[in-house]
Amino acid sequence: MIYLNPDQQRILKWRINSGGIAGVIGPPGCGKTTFGALQAIKLVSEGYANRVLLVALTNSAANEFSRELSIVLGPDASKFMCVRSGYAPGADNSLPIPFSNELDVIKKKQIVICTTQSLKRLSRKSSPVRFDNMIIDEAGIERLEHLLSPFVLGINQLGVQMMKESIGYGINSIIELASTCGVVATVVGDPKQSRPIRSEDYDLSAIEWVLKCAKCDTLYTTYRLPDDLAMLVNEFAGYQGLTSAPEIAGRRLVVDCNTIDKEFRNIINPDKVVTWLDLDGTEEMAGPSSWYNDLEARACVRICHEIKKVAPSKSIMVVTRYAEQRRIVSKYLQQLGLGVRVMTTVGALGTQSDIVIFTIVRNNPERRIGAIGSLQDLNVAISRSKEKLIIVGSFDMMLNAKPRLHNLGVQPKHNFPQKLAQLVSKEKYGEIVEAPPILH
Amino acid sequence: MNTDILDVRRTYESLRKSNTHLVQSSEIATACVCQNLFKLDYPYGAITSDKDYLIANTVHDIMSLCMGGPVIENWQSSPNECQDLTRKIVNESREIVNGVMEDTLDVALKENRFVPDDFKDRVNESYNGLITGITRRLMKYEKPLKVITEATISNVKNHHEGRIDALLEYHDGYGLLDWKSYDLSKTVSDREKWQLIANSLLANYRYCLNENDWSKYRFSCIVHYTGAYFPRMETIEKEVEKIKINRKFAHDVLCGVRVHAQRPNFCPVCDKGLEGSKECQFYQRDARLFYEGMLPAQYDKLTRQFFAKRYAILKERAETHLHKHVVSILIDRYGEEEAIRRLEKTGVICRKFTYDFDDGEKVILSGADNDIPLEPRKIVRIIGKEKDKPLLSCISEQASVMEVINNKITLSLRSKIAVRRAKRQLLDLPIILLRDELNLTRSMLRPIHTFHKLAADIFIPQGFMMS
Repeated sequence: MIYLNPDQQRILKWRINSGGIAGVIGPPGCGKTTFGALQAIKLVSEGYANRVLLVALTNSAANEFSRELSIVLGPDASKFMCVRSGYAPGADNSLPIPFSNELDVIKKKQIVICTTQSLKRLSRKSSPVRFDNMIIDEAGIERLEHLLSPFVLGINQLGVQMMKESIGYGINSIIELASTCGVVATVVGDPKQSRPIRSEDYDLSAIEWVLKCAKCDTLYTTYRLPDDLAMLVNEFAGYQGLTSAPEIAGRRLVVDCNTIDKEFRNIINPDKVVTWLDLDGTEEMAGPSSWYNDLEARACVRICHEIKKVAPSKSIMVVTRYAEQRRIVSKYLQQLGLGVRVMTTVGALGTQSDIVIFTIVRNNPERRIGAIGSLQDLNVAISRSKEKLIIVGSFDMMLNAKPRLHNLGVQPKHNFPQKLAQLVSKEKYGEIVEAPPILH
Repeated sequence: MNTDILDVRRTYESLRKSNTHLVQSSEIATACVCQNLFKLDYPYGAITSDKDYLIANTVHDIMSLCMGGPVIENWQSSPNECQDLTRKIVNESREIVNGVMEDTLDVALKENRFVPDDFKDRVNESYNGLITGITRRLMKYEKPLKVITEATISNVKNHHEGRIDALLEYHDGYGLLDWKSYDLSKTVSDREKWQLIANSLLANYRYCLNENDWSKYRFSCIVHYTGAYFPRMETIEKEVEKIKINRKFAHDVLCGVRVHAQRPNFCPVCDKGLEGSKECQFYQRDARLFYEGMLPAQYDKLTRQFFAKRYAILKERAETHLHKHVVSILIDRYGEEEAIRRLEKTGVICRKFTYDFDDGEKVILSGADNDIPLEPRKIVRIIGKEKDKPLLSCISEQASVMEVINNKITLSLRSKIAVRRAKRQLLDLPIILLRDELNLTRSMLRPIHTFHKLAADIFIPQGFMMS
């Protein structure tokens, strides 16, 4: 028996009883992937669809779909009903769901999992596979053109015929065109967590297109963020109602304070879910567009080392906006042999850890915050943690940040770094601690 | 130090606002056949062939290894007994041929690709045919000093890039080869010839730094099934201008410049009703209706959205060449050595690597220090720096970074064959790693074409399309 919360029940009912294309917004930890897998199972098991396609942009996200399906269906049923298709080396072979690119095999299965890039294998002109329902994950990072690959597999020629006969309908966008051609798709994502890579400020992401042209609903219950962090994220990103699931609301880092080195006691402080370590490091340019901050990198590694000492079973993740900072932190961690993941904000999408350390990197007298000043990057960085979030970087830099101007020199409407600093500084959602001498 | 990095970053910044497209030799050749045909591929995305070039690619792989091995070892100028020599080369290539076929089948199996039952027979037949072509026709030339295979050359200033099947190097010049696993006499256009000449322009750039300098050119040749075609110098001179015009046309189209496509008097695709002709006619009629102001309003609106998306995808394609443009600009500005030094500081280029070890699939290189500014999953071009050759024309292979530990970097090349090729012709040269990108844009255009046609089907009255 699968338990669904009221949001999930409402959205599932709505999507089963309605056709066309629709959007589901999933704030951090609200179980977007789980919901997608459940929806697919419900659709095929209750006869609402013959064949459902689950699509994600990356192989790791597609594997997450497979994992969720395997858990819910069990090994035998998932092996019988599902197939993973696409790029073979990218598929997780440890899961019971078989892999195949053979159209004959795929056509016999009811749930097909694939990445966007590999869908071309299913759309062979001679014998395309058709899906009467599809769920598309991570649509915040995709662009509209990415959505069209799965949509092609959902075209219903009967719908096209009907459309020709009633040409009076107003179709003003590609989404509306696909919808009226019989494509049934639930596009899942969160425009407040991700933006398409390298897109201009004025470009809409795939999920934003769907929100603009179709109906949408939101999942509001997070299964990742404890109460304080959920409230901080809710207020920061303006989700208007994100709350912790009751069973995880009071979750805290459990560690004996006396075992923590006194220099790190305030930083790891288990009573506070959010701690901001105010550290005045120096930013350095690297690569064509990246940055690093050596002092912050070393501080992150030392904190990781201390946490591993007092809470060895806890998973730790260091998050940064910049690839170069990730490289430097990884290099230091490699030297110490600590099993800690280091991710960029893009890579961290869809992942979580017990403890997250977010390194800001940028710190300059002009207070130019650059790319880390975006809502999406900050939101991802602060919303990966299940028990404790430690922000490492200059507090003053964030409080007085000058966000990057939009194209054509337009001042952005919101100053998100400042908003985050203000929310933490009120001590409502966390505390700011000075860096101990050992970290300088 | 910061001023060097700042200079590189500013170059990147300025290029991000401009077009950094490179046109491939194969695309130029398509535009030479018919300019509409080029547009069918980019930006329309209407080429939807299901063909898997498994056999042709395998034959190319075999040739890339055998040319520098059994072929060059048995080279005889104007041999008397061509058949015997062919048999000898084929026999001595057996191990390479079987190895490549096994590797290809392994990959095809892993990727779940369709393999025809007679795969091995067809590959062997094609290979034998090419070797016959070489012994019969190509060996009228003397034995070259060196053979380079699968050379990617980028001439950024002329927006031109291409992959040359083989270059034969002589003390006073070069010979350029292109393999075609089919019989050239059965083809319906001069596409192969144009591709060959377009590649010759790149080879001129590699050997003379100037695509118009033919002083090192000795011959170019399409080796095909049991034969070879050598274009005459007069033919080349006549066709070069056409190639340049079509290169500009293709570049303009990719950059979003509105240029009118010229239809030739005879188009081998449309006039013969081959694959793609219906799509071509569809877009030609669409354009005509647009110019006549006859497009229905809703369809017009959707078409504009389709093209906006198409050009967004084309921009993504241009960005895959960004690093090469930066390299080219900095070399022009400071000279090659200083440009490389500056790019090294920024981490765009890494050098001073030596070949360490390979396991047949991955290559491990040792760096001079422990600070390799590359991370797993980054795409790089491994360049073997040849003396007196422009950096972007040197022998290279694309690879992705698998692991970086201390001063060791593990690189995964495209295939086991690429590793063997790299070991033969690249890894004993001074190695430079240049950041690179994959171009995955072609498949993104296809669905747009499908929906574009669907919209036309719904909104355009049948009579409009037929007129």
